[in-house]
Amino acid sequence: MTKIIEYVRLYFRLVGAGVRAQMQYRFAFIMRIVGMVAAYTGTAVTMWIMLYQFKELGKWNFYELLFLFALAVLSWGFCIILFFHFRSLDTYIVNGTFDRFLVRPINPFFHFMAMKFDIGAAGQFIFSILVFIWVSNAIDIHWQFGKILFLLGAIIGGILVQGGLLVFISAIAFWTTKSERFYWVVMYPARNLTNYPLAIYPKFVQWVTAFVVPFGFVNYFPAAVILDKDTPYFSSYIGYFTPLVGIVFFVIAYYVWMLGLSRYKSAGS
Amino acid sequence: MAIIEVEHLNKEFKIAKRETGFVGALKSVVNRQFVTKEAVKDISFSIEKGEMVGYIGPNGAGKSTTIKMLTGILVPSNGSIIVNGIVPYEKRKENAKNIGVVFGQRTQLWWDLPTIESFELLKEIYRVPDARYKENMNTFSDILGLGEFLNTPVRQLSLGQRMRADIAASLLHDPEILFLDEPTIGLDVVAKEKMREFIQEINKLRDVTVILTTHDMEDIEKLCKRMILIDHGQKVYDGDIAAVKSRFGKMRTLIVDVEENGVDLHVSNGELMKEEGNRKWIRFNRDDFSASDVISQITQTHNITDLTVEEPEIESIISRIYQEGFTKEEVPVKV
Repeated sequence: MTKIIEYVRLYFRLVGAGVRAQMQYRFAFIMRIVGMVAAYTGTAVTMWIMLYQFKELGKWNFYELLFLFALAVLSWGFCIILFFHFRSLDTYIVNGTFDRFLVRPINPFFHFMAMKFDIGAAGQFIFSILVFIWVSNAIDIHWQFGKILFLLGAIIGGILVQGGLLVFISAIAFWTTKSERFYWVVMYPARNLTNYPLAIYPKFVQWVTAFVVPFGFVNYFPAAVILDKDTPYFSSYIGYFTPLVGIVFFVIAYYVWMLGLSRYKSAGS
Repeated sequence: MAIIEVEHLNKEFKIAKRETGFVGALKSVVNRQFVTKEAVKDISFSIEKGEMVGYIGPNGAGKSTTIKMLTGILVPSNGSIIVNGIVPYEKRKENAKNIGVVFGQRTQLWWDLPTIESFELLKEIYRVPDARYKENMNTFSDILGLGEFLNTPVRQLSLGQRMRADIAASLLHDPEILFLDEPTIGLDVVAKEKMREFIQEINKLRDVTVILTTHDMEDIEKLCKRMILIDHGQKVYDGDIAAVKSRFGKMRTLIVDVEENGVDLHVSNGELMKEEGNRKWIRFNRDDFSASDVISQITQTHNITDLTVEEPEIESIISRIYQEGFTKEEVPVKV
């Protein structure tokens, strides 16, 4: 227990340093936030134009679609803060700077994760919170205690699913040295797919996003519970499993990463 | 009891064979062939507490691989390592508390932050008690002059300052053993000298065991009594530096440019090794003649337009040792 407290304390010390380091480049920092808000607003406008024509998409109307999108953006924001450093693991391995994490008396996964705390994700928060407020008013979502609790669980699950995938992709670098391309092959499509309700996709795609790369749990399943929507092919209770799916997926990703680390230690780079 | 005990250490790497050309590249994607490379072959040595040992060899000889195994970064393929009573790759974290590591080419400091922040973060990572931290910071500031740049971001430090900060950072948690991988690389003469003085002082003051890899013969001469020389992953020599120096370190090479074209240069006190146009390389023994003896002999018959005197480089000494070898009578090899 004291060990956990020590690690939490150390995490905030390391993360604080990371934030101060980023603040050294203030202009870039602010531009990133502005850029993110602009980019997400752009996607939202596209949705609006599309829905203006079709009225609804897979039985989801414009506001519901926006809610679905904002939920993914919010947990992605947290995910960037906590886990985005893993995207640069391959650069560390190529440059030989990863060794530094192995000569220190702490868990290398933890150490690597705590090296960067990407506060640039403020853009994601600004966008998603504004959308939540707007949508809640427009379609009368009543936020009682149970619903808020469910939303929190869904966000945590979403963070862990997306973070787990980032960790998983980064671990590939222990075998292949380069992992950036996997990000574009797996992460990017998965995130784009979940901009829309999975109900519009073929059964096979839905099945994959539920059980293989469980991005359905990032927003579609939990949003369906909150908005009381049908989830064809799946039980309507599936959204309640979000936190559990997140934890399981992340734990698997962690062990794959550790396996990669032991491969690195015996093979070098 | 020895603080570092290495026996029959082996490290093999499997390297994917790359074929040239488009067809070759395709072939290696479909059917990857691996070649096994032995980076370290059957190396054994033991190092006592407080020793300063130079671990040297040409590029690719296996120095870094050995250091990585000693620090717990890499797992050996074969053989045993015990560092301070611990097997490094089995108890990596515990081993990390006992050792300090400096990689000359890569800083361990937080690049974008004022230097002092790196020290404070390392204090947390290694859980150095407050009092001890203050004490160490005072000592290091005195000897290394850290005070002048503690508030400067690491990325703005000069290489010399950065190296001083790096070495202080590696000693913050009072390690028993210090691994220095090319600690003077890229430094100017003054900075090198300062660095050596500090290493010496720390070794004396705290009885820290130092293992040092370098390409600079002067580092070894000034710091170490003993050197372990490796080449192609194998130990070539382990023992006294004085013996190596007296045998191989006394040769100097004089490089002169003479004014006239196509001269046949003969010097009685040196040996002409190589010539390229007007430039001649002459090797002489420092014990027998001084450089000025050799130069004055040449100036009697030729006009010299330019000259330099070269000390033997570690590489050339190593290759000579490798070629000629040491017989046991000449230099006892420590086992």
